[in-house]
Amino acid sequence: MSDILHFEDFHIGQTFAFGRYAVTKEEIVEFASQFDPQPHHLSEEAGKKTILGGLSASGWHICSMAMRMMVDGLIRHMANRGGVGSREGRWMKPVRPGDVLRLEVEVTELKEPQSLPDIGFVTFDARVFNQREQVAMVSLTPIVAKRG
Amino acid sequence: MWFEEIEIGTKRVLGTHTFTQDEIITFAKRYDPQNFHIDPDAAKASMFGGIIASGWHTMAMWMRYAILSRQREAAERGVEGPGGVSPGFEDVRWQKPVRPGDTLTFTMETVGKRDLASRPALGLVLSRNEARGPDGTLYMSFTGKGLVPRKPNGG
Repeated sequence: MSDILHFEDFHIGQTFAFGRYAVTKEEIVEFASQFDPQPHHLSEEAGKKTILGGLSASGWHICSMAMRMMVDGLIRHMANRGGVGSREGRWMKPVRPGDVLRLEVEVTELKEPQSLPDIGFVTFDARVFNQREQVAMVSLTPIVAKRG
Repeated sequence: MWFEEIEIGTKRVLGTHTFTQDEIITFAKRYDPQNFHIDPDAAKASMFGGIIASGWHTMAMWMRYAILSRQREAAERGVEGPGGVSPGFEDVRWQKPVRPGDTLTFTMETVGKRDLASRPALGLVLSRNEARGPDGTLYMSFTGKGLVPRKPNGG
């Protein structure tokens, strides 16, 4: 991608794939110590006693890693005006040390608010995959794009 | 706390946090490196007029205080607050940018309980979660979901 993408450059069904995020034990524990200090996010032993079956990343950590891939892969190339939230997120599989994540997104909705003539909302249906091609997380998130 | 013991309408104040510019930039450099989150000069020139926190930073901070509150409750009363493993969230809204020096109070209110046909040992608890400023201004809200164990043998 060389040119900056504006709202008009997106269309329903458009897909993008990007990212390679290697997840380490140190990062899982560091994030969880700060933001989600539950035992199954801090130690392998404690994780084994839960339905997660071992040390696994906080769901908010998965969101944050997905955001990093989204920024590097797409938002950097957009005339981006920020975010307003996320319609939905579902954590489908535990993310563990050694996992390598990637992201696929599809444009599922385009909205042009009449009251805001210089922006549009591009909604992305996102899937975070692990190296076994399992979907670890899905989300539905609008991004605000400047109109060209 | 068992699913059966959780009451709809219960509202908890989880804690209060003042965001610093350093922590906003540190988080965003790693997870959301857009100019208006990491570069004070570029942020000043942006539509936000200054550094603002990544929305995901605000979510993560809500979670920090939710867990600390649950652990405090467990230590004080020997009973864990509502929680359990979460399958996800809905309807995240960042109503107002969070800026350095902003002080937010995080809350969690139980708004719904659902049976799960596929998982008879668990129930789904829905919560309305918020971050508000000292004057009550809403900065962030979302619907949280928790899978909470039911009492063995129906209590």
